[in-house]
Amino acid sequence: MTPLFEARKLSKVYKDRAVLDLAELRIEKEMIYALQGPNGSGKTTLLEILSLLIPPTTGELLYQGKSVDFKSRSLTILRREIVMVHQNPVLFTRTVHGNLEFGLKVRGVPKPAREQTILESLDLVGMRDFLRAEAHKLSGGETQRVAIARALVCSPRVMLFDEPTSSVDVENRNIIERIIGDINSEKKISVVFTSHDLTQASKLSHKVIPLFEGRKVPSVYENIFMSTICAGDEGKMRCQIRDGIALLAETGAEGKVKISIDPLKIRLHRNDDHGSDINSLKGKLVQLTDEQSLVRAAVDVGITLNVLLPKEAFKEQSLNIGDEVTVLIPREAITVF
Amino acid sequence: MDFLIDSVLSAFLLLWSLDPDLYFIIYVSLKVSFFSTLIAGLLGTPAGFFVAFHEFRGKRILITILNSLLALPTVVVGLVVYAFISRRGILGILDLLYTQSAMVIGQVILIFPIVACLTIAAVSRIDERYRKTAMTLGATTFETARVIFREARFALVAAIITAFGRVIAEVGVSMMLGGNAKGFTRTMTTAMALEYDKGEFVLGVALGIVLLLISFAINILFNSVQGRTKS
Repeated sequence: MTPLFEARKLSKVYKDRAVLDLAELRIEKEMIYALQGPNGSGKTTLLEILSLLIPPTTGELLYQGKSVDFKSRSLTILRREIVMVHQNPVLFTRTVHGNLEFGLKVRGVPKPAREQTILESLDLVGMRDFLRAEAHKLSGGETQRVAIARALVCSPRVMLFDEPTSSVDVENRNIIERIIGDINSEKKISVVFTSHDLTQASKLSHKVIPLFEGRKVPSVYENIFMSTICAGDEGKMRCQIRDGIALLAETGAEGKVKISIDPLKIRLHRNDDHGSDINSLKGKLVQLTDEQSLVRAAVDVGITLNVLLPKEAFKEQSLNIGDEVTVLIPREAITVF
Repeated sequence: MDFLIDSVLSAFLLLWSLDPDLYFIIYVSLKVSFFSTLIAGLLGTPAGFFVAFHEFRGKRILITILNSLLALPTVVVGLVVYAFISRRGILGILDLLYTQSAMVIGQVILIFPIVACLTIAAVSRIDERYRKTAMTLGATTFETARVIFREARFALVAAIITAFGRVIAEVGVSMMLGGNAKGFTRTMTTAMALEYDKGEFVLGVALGIVLLLISFAINILFNSVQGRTKS
């Protein structure tokens, strides 16, 4: 089947700085994809390229098997199939109705047909009562939901969401997550969204695409810290993250670097038994989350470390929130960038 | 001090008596200022919009030049336009000198940079997300520009009001290109300058009061428009 999007050697450079550099990307139809990564990983840039709002600096983007010409005058026609909802979206200074009507007007939809579609879209996001409300008087969560309805009313094939729940409360977050699911399952709209939250990305999407520093990476990088490499005892290299937190690492790098600690390779113990060749930090268990076959634990060791434990290991140790634990970080768990 | 009080009282009496000469001067002032603001608005708003909305080579230099022209002295405009429309000038054949049209031409040149610069500032202040939102919702370039225009509308009206305030109060262009001909090109400011030269202050003070009232009305209008921009 022809993929929805296919990208080859796609890059975006801003003022000599490459913010995106993808060798390849493939997004299938009628699925939900999550672009996951920390700030600065190129998620929004990729989303804006996919929404045909900005052209890539180099490379090729194919939409439904056809190469996209970003200079073409007919780009608007193509763009009408793909609608993006921005992070912290803005509503036009008119009523909610006026905002929803915009996309239909530019598509030349006659007035009687518009009204029905507008009401249907507002129903889907639970905002029908706000039809005549002034848009700029709505709360953050309501604004986000109206922005989704405004995109939805255009009957797009693809909807792109940039951090859809980053600026809303828990109640609106749950509603928006449900809406994204419904859009895909009921209306068969393909969805791509960005998130820095791995749990949300995994929960909502059929497939997670991890990004880091503009590149697609094989697995999601977590526990990313700025640190300084300095030579320790016996020529071993240490990454100084902050005062009192220095980790042995296998690296030839020097100076200031970014490191990532693989949460799957970190171990938690109640006692201090460990070899001298392994990094050991004492901390307190502050959060536990169920993640299918794993348990995600957040441990405060002066910095917050995310740890992923197999459920059996978690049960064996009967860990609870507030427990004092020893965090063991093998050198191979640390990636230096 | 008594002299000033006497002048003010006489001025009010003059205004109250609906003196035709006085009101004709006010009429000419408003008419010339209206047309120069209208033309400068029709030229300056789209020009400013184009500059703000597009990226092109030399954009920053152009904005710097326009900003510099904000401080253009009225006498310089008067002198340059005079050079073109005087009998010896290349447009001398049109016989424009000492007409209301000449005043309008000079005033348009004077306030075009104001309208253009304030339009650029107004459009540039509009959040980039409005443009992207309009585009992602399927708008063409023209429809996107309309969205930006609508979002900036109060600031654009404020630009026009500021320009009108500038021309209604200027004297250099009106004097040099209009010639202060009674019943024809005499405006409030040129009449005030003449009355001052003659040492007769009553008409001057009366016109001053009207000019201040107009300025006051413009400021009230400007503040209400600005208030709506912020809300």
